[in-house]
Amino acid sequence: MSEPLLSVDDLHVEIASRERTVHALAGVSLDLAPGEALGVVGESGSGKTMTALGVLGLLPSGGSITRGSVRFDGEDLVAGGEKRLQDVRGNTIGVVFQDPLTSLNPTMTIGAQVAEPLLLHRDISKKEAFARAQEMLGLVGMPQPAERMRNYPHQLSGGMRQRVAIAMALVCEPKLLIADEPTTALDVTTQHQILELVDDLRSRLGMAMILVTHDLGVIANRVDRVAVMYAGKIAERAGVRSLFRAPRHRYTEALFSALPEKAVVGATELRTIPGLPPNLALPQHGCRFAARCAFATDACRETEPELLGDDHAFACFHPVPPQQADPLADVVPGEERHAPALASGTPLLEIAGLRKDFPLSGGPFARSRGTVSAVGGVNLTVRKGETFGVVGESGCGKTTIGRMVAGLEDPTSGSITFEGQDLATMSRSRRRAHRRRIQLMFQDSTAAMDPRMRVGAILREPLVIQGVGDRAEQERIVAELLDAVGLPRGAVDRCPHEFSGGQRQRLGLARALTLSPELIVADEPVSALDVSVQAQILNLMRDLQRDRGLTYLFISHDLAVIRYLADTVGVMYLGKLVECGPADEVYEHPLHPYTRGLLDTVNVPDPERLDDTRKPLGGETPSAAAPPSGCRFRTRCPLAQDICARAEPAVTTPLGGTHQVACHFPLVEGTRAAAA
Amino acid sequence: MTGFLVKRLLQALVVLFLVTIIVFLLLHSLPGGPARAILGPKGTPQQIAHFNEVQGYDDPLPVQYADYLVRLVHGDLGQSYKLNESVSSLLGQRLPKTLILTVLSTVVAVVVAVPLGLLQAVRRGRPADYILTALAFLAYATPVFFLGLIFIIVFSQAIPLFPAEAPQGTSIGSIFSGFSGMVLPIVTMAFGIIAMFSRYMRSATLDNLTEEYVRTATAKGQSSRRILARHVLRNALIPLVTLLGLYLPTLFSGALVVESMFNYPGMGLLFWNAAQGSDFPVLLGVTLVVGVATVVGSLVTDIVYALLDPRIRSVS
Repeated sequence: MSEPLLSVDDLHVEIASRERTVHALAGVSLDLAPGEALGVVGESGSGKTMTALGVLGLLPSGGSITRGSVRFDGEDLVAGGEKRLQDVRGNTIGVVFQDPLTSLNPTMTIGAQVAEPLLLHRDISKKEAFARAQEMLGLVGMPQPAERMRNYPHQLSGGMRQRVAIAMALVCEPKLLIADEPTTALDVTTQHQILELVDDLRSRLGMAMILVTHDLGVIANRVDRVAVMYAGKIAERAGVRSLFRAPRHRYTEALFSALPEKAVVGATELRTIPGLPPNLALPQHGCRFAARCAFATDACRETEPELLGDDHAFACFHPVPPQQADPLADVVPGEERHAPALASGTPLLEIAGLRKDFPLSGGPFARSRGTVSAVGGVNLTVRKGETFGVVGESGCGKTTIGRMVAGLEDPTSGSITFEGQDLATMSRSRRRAHRRRIQLMFQDSTAAMDPRMRVGAILREPLVIQGVGDRAEQERIVAELLDAVGLPRGAVDRCPHEFSGGQRQRLGLARALTLSPELIVADEPVSALDVSVQAQILNLMRDLQRDRGLTYLFISHDLAVIRYLADTVGVMYLGKLVECGPADEVYEHPLHPYTRGLLDTVNVPDPERLDDTRKPLGGETPSAAAPPSGCRFRTRCPLAQDICARAEPAVTTPLGGTHQVACHFPLVEGTRAAAA
Repeated sequence: MTGFLVKRLLQALVVLFLVTIIVFLLLHSLPGGPARAILGPKGTPQQIAHFNEVQGYDDPLPVQYADYLVRLVHGDLGQSYKLNESVSSLLGQRLPKTLILTVLSTVVAVVVAVPLGLLQAVRRGRPADYILTALAFLAYATPVFFLGLIFIIVFSQAIPLFPAEAPQGTSIGSIFSGFSGMVLPIVTMAFGIIAMFSRYMRSATLDNLTEEYVRTATAKGQSSRRILARHVLRNALIPLVTLLGLYLPTLFSGALVVESMFNYPGMGLLFWNAAQGSDFPVLLGVTLVVGVATVVGSLVTDIVYALLDPRIRSVS
């Protein structure tokens, strides 16, 4: 390898707060050649962001580099001090952050923000800087850049804002781009467009890149080499293909097998990683993964393994044997995935013609300025004991449907029938009693719990409200629930904030189960969780479903999670259900161009599966305040014709059975060709 | 932006109309009516009837209100019962004096409080922050009359830098020509405002410093000083604008304690004396002015908001 562009050596970072000092990084070393792309993956708290941002000294408050060096372009940035770092930041190293909503200054124009690095680092006039900024906006695929220059961040969509952030990072043509979870806050289709853009610009400008992500699918096709981080150290470092083909560290292996994408292939239970990552505020002994590793021996617990090897380095005493090509091969096959509820099951929930319009209000003296059509006429049937997965991008109305089913929102029109009873026609008291039969599970369970109440009180509250049993009986039910979701009974005396993300989600599930509901509406219940913890929750939800005969309405943007858990899938786009049917059929033979595009867009965590026949979706979802006429997808549809603008497509079943699609030109031909 | 202004102005007019109704009804909700209040318990029924007839209090309420409105539009706020002067001419004398005092002290306060708040936020948890916090609480807790007395003793008597009495002239020119007399009243009044505003500025700046756009700005290679000036300041000023808007009516109602301490007859003293002497036309006039100031205050707040924050601009 030629002289590295960036060389991080034995980097130690500590974050001190009033109560404790967290040793966020404990000796991280990595090299990056000019033009090379390095992926840094790991779960939350693994130190991946700290590594990437530590390079530029962009540590959170209280953070400091206690040891090690960062050499960039032949210069030590740690020793150089703040002044030197300011020269490098935004100039030879550009950074793109995760959340485009908060990482732009809300009160400055796009133009001023993009031009700013130029004004700081280049000796040019304001006029030249703005002209260059506008050029850069064009380069990142911003339509009408001249107009956008005068816009403010809130006037742009999330994807467009991320383009602005990229333009800002690249306007000085840096040698290195650091991208910290650049697409995590974005929808699948936008995510794809942004990653393509970064790829394209990288090859055009010849930059090196560090791509930090928790998403193995994102790095699989975007980088040359990968560093897997765990608990403040690099566990494994290898070329992307060799890592995905044959991971050596036991943690990497476990991480791969916890991916829902992997389980679907074998139709097995997800393999989970038990326990939690270590608390980095405490001193660490031995291998940091030992406590969760099935192969750990006494040596692992006493001595810390070193990161050894050149091309494929790993820090493990008991690595996966190199000849093993398939990381799943030595995994004990999980339990057979339970047979999906048959289509003949009795309907539990029936939704017909469901619409929800939200008024756009303009203040007390202004007339209403139209409505947002969040849900625009949806029909679906959820059968007893099945998992109905609703999948779609943000703003497609999936959450609104969930809220209406749970009775938190009243439909504008249409009916929701639960076991033959129409919710709308129920009396107030009947409705109240009925609520116990449908419960909600949220994405962020902590936010959904009173922070000052103890867990015991939180779990007991629904029982008290519905008047179930006396206090002793209620406490017995709570204790049983905690057993069922795998939390210690002592949890009743603790407050929600004392639990980790995965434990909180268990609490959320316990709370939803308190009243023994028949239907649980789960709104993105695992979206905020790391892969290994996500697997634990998904398996738990499955087990509980089997034991208690639960029905789930599972709402998610994550196609892989839906595929793993759902028996029936409904795909939503801009308030419409565009396709609905048995999960396997929908995924194997999508009939709607949107579903097809969505499946083609999703990042598969497998670098070998690069395939040119995939046609990812372009464009952006139009506003729900003015949805397109006819078929709402027509503005982005590759097959759209005149009729699509004139008439709303009727629901048909071109393949027979229960696989429904609302499209004038369903993909029947392609399906037949693929089947043949 | 123009549409936004027109809409806000129309709303303000509606509110002002409501203010006049409330002010008018207040006058008539007095037990025994204004006549009894003016003439006192010894007033004979004949005197009261005469008073009511002269003042027009025997007409039906809507007629009276219409008269009141017509007079109001012509700038006639009635005649003071006690001072033998029209209310509008009283306000004309007192309001400018009060405004000179209150506006100047507020300007001084903002000019001092904004950098102080920024400094404390940047030095959070360090000695400078603790000392300034302690001083702010001290200034906040000190009664104005006490502070004023200390200033008079120190800066007027021990070290005779400034006179202890405000300029006595009635014209604006004479006030400014004797401006050294305004220093102590302004400083006395500004002290408490500085304490309050600097606390707000400190917390608003701290909130903004933890925002992610600040990290983005750092990643562009800017110095922290430049980030503070170019990025944080504008965003941190937004809460202060709310505070200033809420503060505007106070500017018009005057500062009774400071005015009487430095013998500077402004709105505060006028209101106080009118309240003591049941001088209703004056009371109502002052109330109306403060009501208008309140409405204008929130209008100005909205406009400045829109100037500072483009998100609000585009919603409207």
